[in-house]
Amino acid sequence: MTPGLDALSRRDLLRAGAGAALAAYGLAGCGIGHGIRGDVNRVIEPKVDGDLFYFNYSQYINPALVKEFEKRYDVRVIESYFDSMEGMLAKLRSGNAYDVMFPTAEYVQRLIQQEQVLRIPRDKLENLDNIYGYFNDPWYDPDSAHSVPYSLYITGIGYRADILGDLTGSWDDLANEEAAGRIYVLDDYQEALAAGNLRNGFEMNTVVESELNTTEEWLVGLKPLLRGFSVDTITTMSSGNAWIQHLWNGDIINIRYRVDDPDAYVFEKITQDGFPVGSDAFCIPVNSEHPGTALLFIDFMLDPKNAAKNVSWNGYPMPNHGQDETFQELAKGDPNIVVTVDDLEGGDQFANLPQDDRELWTNTFLEVKAS
Amino acid sequence: MLAPAGVWLLLLFAVPMGIVVLVSLGRTDPIFEAVYGWHPGNYADVFDPLFAPVLLRSVTYALATVALCLLIGYPIAYYIARFGGRWKTLLIAAVVLPFLVNYLVRTYAWVAILSDEGLANGILQDVGLAENGVRFINTSWAVIGGLVYGYLAFMILPLYAALDRMDPALIEAGKDLYGNRWQTFWHVTWPAAFQGVVAGCVLVFLPAVGDFISAQLLGGPDTYMVGNLIQQQFLEAQNWPFGAALTIVMMGFLLIWMLLYVRSATRASREASA
Amino acid sequence: MSAPGWAARLPLARRRAERRRRRGFDRPRFLLAFFLLFVVWTFAPLLVVALFSFNSTPSLQNFEGFSLQWYDEFFSSVTLRESLVASIEIGFVTMIVGTVLGTTLAFALVRARSRVAQASNVLMLIPLVTPEIVAGVSALVLFTQIGMDLSLLTIMIAEITFSISFVTVIVRARLATMNREVEEAALDLGATRIQTVRLVVLPALWPAIIASALLIFALSFDDFVIAFFTTGESPTPLPVQIYSSIRFGVRPTINAIGTLMLVISFLIVALAVALPRLLGRRGEQNVLIGGEAG
Repeated sequence: MTPGLDALSRRDLLRAGAGAALAAYGLAGCGIGHGIRGDVNRVIEPKVDGDLFYFNYSQYINPALVKEFEKRYDVRVIESYFDSMEGMLAKLRSGNAYDVMFPTAEYVQRLIQQEQVLRIPRDKLENLDNIYGYFNDPWYDPDSAHSVPYSLYITGIGYRADILGDLTGSWDDLANEEAAGRIYVLDDYQEALAAGNLRNGFEMNTVVESELNTTEEWLVGLKPLLRGFSVDTITTMSSGNAWIQHLWNGDIINIRYRVDDPDAYVFEKITQDGFPVGSDAFCIPVNSEHPGTALLFIDFMLDPKNAAKNVSWNGYPMPNHGQDETFQELAKGDPNIVVTVDDLEGGDQFANLPQDDRELWTNTFLEVKAS
Repeated sequence: MLAPAGVWLLLLFAVPMGIVVLVSLGRTDPIFEAVYGWHPGNYADVFDPLFAPVLLRSVTYALATVALCLLIGYPIAYYIARFGGRWKTLLIAAVVLPFLVNYLVRTYAWVAILSDEGLANGILQDVGLAENGVRFINTSWAVIGGLVYGYLAFMILPLYAALDRMDPALIEAGKDLYGNRWQTFWHVTWPAAFQGVVAGCVLVFLPAVGDFISAQLLGGPDTYMVGNLIQQQFLEAQNWPFGAALTIVMMGFLLIWMLLYVRSATRASREASA
Repeated sequence: MSAPGWAARLPLARRRAERRRRRGFDRPRFLLAFFLLFVVWTFAPLLVVALFSFNSTPSLQNFEGFSLQWYDEFFSSVTLRESLVASIEIGFVTMIVGTVLGTTLAFALVRARSRVAQASNVLMLIPLVTPEIVAGVSALVLFTQIGMDLSLLTIMIAEITFSISFVTVIVRARLATMNREVEEAALDLGATRIQTVRLVVLPALWPAIIASALLIFALSFDDFVIAFFTTGESPTPLPVQIYSSIRFGVRPTINAIGTLMLVISFLIVALAVALPRLLGRRGEQNVLIGGEAG
């Protein structure tokens, strides 16, 4: 007799099942967990009101700048990290009170819709003039009322110019025969499908099933040539395992810091088919306990000198005129890395898809990976 | 005796698991919030033919991991338990020490050693064994290697704990009684070791099936494991209900096999040592 | 397991064992070679880690020159230091509470026959099968639903919950093969239940308890999924920090931390082994720890 299982008689199981059903009905419609509550229009001012609780990707801000901020305002910056937007949301909704976080553009829009971020008093910040004009009224945040842009990125292909020579400027480069077995695609459903959609001439954010199926076929067709799906782009390229890696522009700069022959590692902008452009932004959660310090921090980071310092550490450009020169210098020899205003205005940005469409996208990518 | 752990597990584990079951019956509403409800259809979706190969692959990798861990771990545990002498504790600590260094750190070190332009390939090419180098990373063997490396301690420690009581004199006496090494092993060593082996196999197999980090760091385009799948549903897809349903089905599947295995193995062992 | 027949031959067998060992009995040389190979295999990456922790560039592939900058970065970063301390704290508490709970559960499952105990057999295996993300998310939902703030305590609670089963499986394996005759003899001689447990059962169980304690310390020290979902605003446990840096490049500071952890653990173990010897031959009583009879 199997111990344990026999102890549960059929009656017990039925009772448990009924209990679950009742519970499910009773709770039907109730959210699992709850969002954070607060007044979106709370009046806040840039002043020191406690230590700053900072929530971001790891290694995404110059630690020297953080130290400078701490010293200047005599506060502590307490850092927490997430490694995905979804993880960020889960922790946000758990009730943790962060003061500043860094969602990407589409998530900013979502957070605004859900009233989870505070209104930012633009008149009280000093360094906003340095920001590119595009961000005064971006698509995801009308009048830029709830966010201040942090950094910019574009997605392209990083490759070994010393081994492969020049590439074609199209997403078909991910199927480069010469590099067969040394190609990686980003392990990100949005980036992977975007590459496919653009290559096939569709709208990047398309939700037409037949189009997504074509993209899926293309991606599955790539698999024999692929070495893997990875967001660990710096390791794959600097270790020599990757000759072609689907990645973001800032990654190339970070890769170059770690290799013997930096000029061999080149970033290709996919000018032929189009490419994703993106940005992320500073936001203050609605349950922040030290929004004043947060505002000071944002203003501090917008200072042109600090932007320049951040960019040379980070590798990613900021939409701040103070860093233009520094970043041009950093990207010299590879102007493709620079994100121009044309890119911003003309490029494709990831839309904030509703749940059903998002499921369509994630299921498509799932089918690619699991097949 | 049962009370403290029983109460703890009941409140802090059974209740959250109950929540997981309830979540599996819910759905995600248009603004990405997971809400409770009655959607047993989630379970029907789990049986999509897309997922069976993923589960099968995970089980295969996990079985390979168990086999390798046993092959490597048993001699090590036996050696320390039997011949460690007064250095036993030090030796066991030496075995466990590497596991205190973060898994990611160790894995990156292996990637550095085994990468196409790394140490291993450098040596192989210099010595002339491999013209164009060997692809170690991003293969299923790399994933299994990563799993073995991560779970080896889970095999060695239970084995050591079970073998440690081996009185060498008993083995001697057994040799006198049975005459040859194999019989001695079967009748003297094995019954004690057996419990350790079962414990080690359970502790390696069950978590290895749901592992995702090895496939993520070391895997290729065709090494998708059920752990990656479940993680994708909870994070990328923001589909907690479906992820929960997948989890429940996977757990149920594994538990049934586990119980059958343990029951039959225990019965076999009891018959053998009688 | 009982061995009635050959127990009578023990004295003679012991002498023979001594003689055989001196002649290389049981070919320990092969096992020794295997063991040494194993040590090389497990420590090789650690050497690489230690080497690159002194690298003068951020490269994890090419060693350019010697530098202490990563150690400097670690020691001057309050966040990193707090993360390390937090992880060690979590590890210790999880280890102690988890081991106690797991051991008591093992006793209950092996010795009891009640229906509840049998059901617990199954309940106990389920945490082992639970994928980490489900463990983390379910713990998060539990804490949010009961309105508990996230903090180091919530991490510890979640880690302990998922560690108990490891201890129980290991301790139970050992308990199941233990000879009850010695216990019964002790009880016959007048020892109380508690004395029996303390003086007979626990010392015999000790290797299993230590082994499982070490295991769950390593487990919780390295865990990042459960920790991520159950951590409060501060401090973030170390593994969460390390894993979330995959996206933008892992820094060699991580190697410095790894090397430090290794050195610290080594010192602790060396101390734990050397101390009893330095303080006198108290090790002789605990035969199974020091392995004097081995």
